[in-house]
Amino acid sequence: MVQDPLLECSFLIPIRRDSNLSDGEEHEPDMWDWLSTELFDRLCGATAAPGTYQGFYEDPDTHERVTDESYKYIVAVPASRLVELRQLLSAACVVFQQKCIYLSIAGRVEFVEPP
Amino acid sequence: MGKNDKYTGRCGETLDLSTLDRDERELVAELVRFADAHPDARTAEYWNFYPKRVGKFYEARGLSRSETTRTLVWQIAQDINGRLMVAAGLAKDSKDYREELDAIIREKYGSRRRFCELTGISEDRLSHVLAKRKHLSIQALSDALAKIGYTIQITQLPDISPPSQTS
Repeated sequence: MVQDPLLECSFLIPIRRDSNLSDGEEHEPDMWDWLSTELFDRLCGATAAPGTYQGFYEDPDTHERVTDESYKYIVAVPASRLVELRQLLSAACVVFQQKCIYLSIAGRVEFVEPP
Repeated sequence: MGKNDKYTGRCGETLDLSTLDRDERELVAELVRFADAHPDARTAEYWNFYPKRVGKFYEARGLSRSETTRTLVWQIAQDINGRLMVAAGLAKDSKDYREELDAIIREKYGSRRRFCELTGISEDRLSHVLAKRKHLSIQALSDALAKIGYTIQITQLPDISPPSQTS
């Protein structure tokens, strides 16, 4: 019997701040440093997918189409620690000035919001 | 990177490597070589390399992951990553406060003279500051900003604590 299985999780962090919440500019390197440190320290690491991912969505507040370009991260997380990953991404919404962050857990998608 | 005993950071700051032992310095050199060989941050090769490499190095020395992230080598590894990301256009260094001051003067006052009249900073001193030859002390900056309705703000990154264990 497999206890506490590892789940493949992936999430997208846009390389620019939300233009409605903030100024739409690129993040400072310190923000990426924070994410790397948190992933390393709390989740034992992650893999960054090569390249960036272009996407678009409807802004829930303005209902305008928004395009973004994101880094994708892949991390294996025990089922019992998914709450920590969600906490991390909730904080990441603040750090990276996003309304929500796309998270896929074993193929099921959530949109993690700020605290 | 600079002299063997110094590392020059992305923003021009100097980090003293003399506290590192030989193996740590070699690790820093290895990180720099890897970054030079994989300069395109879009490939994420360096990003995927340095945590594992630095983590393995200090794990062998008995450091926890948390302790590893507080080492000078980790700081340098991240600085290198930041350099690559800025070069690739994937990140941007924050504005020096003097650039923000310059923008406020141009956009709201039109002239340095008017700004100086309102804040009490001499034009000569302001010229040096905006040319980045000198700094204003935090007190002087704060006092000047207060006279025109601005203030300095310190913002903390959110601190995440793991959820408390329940039975």
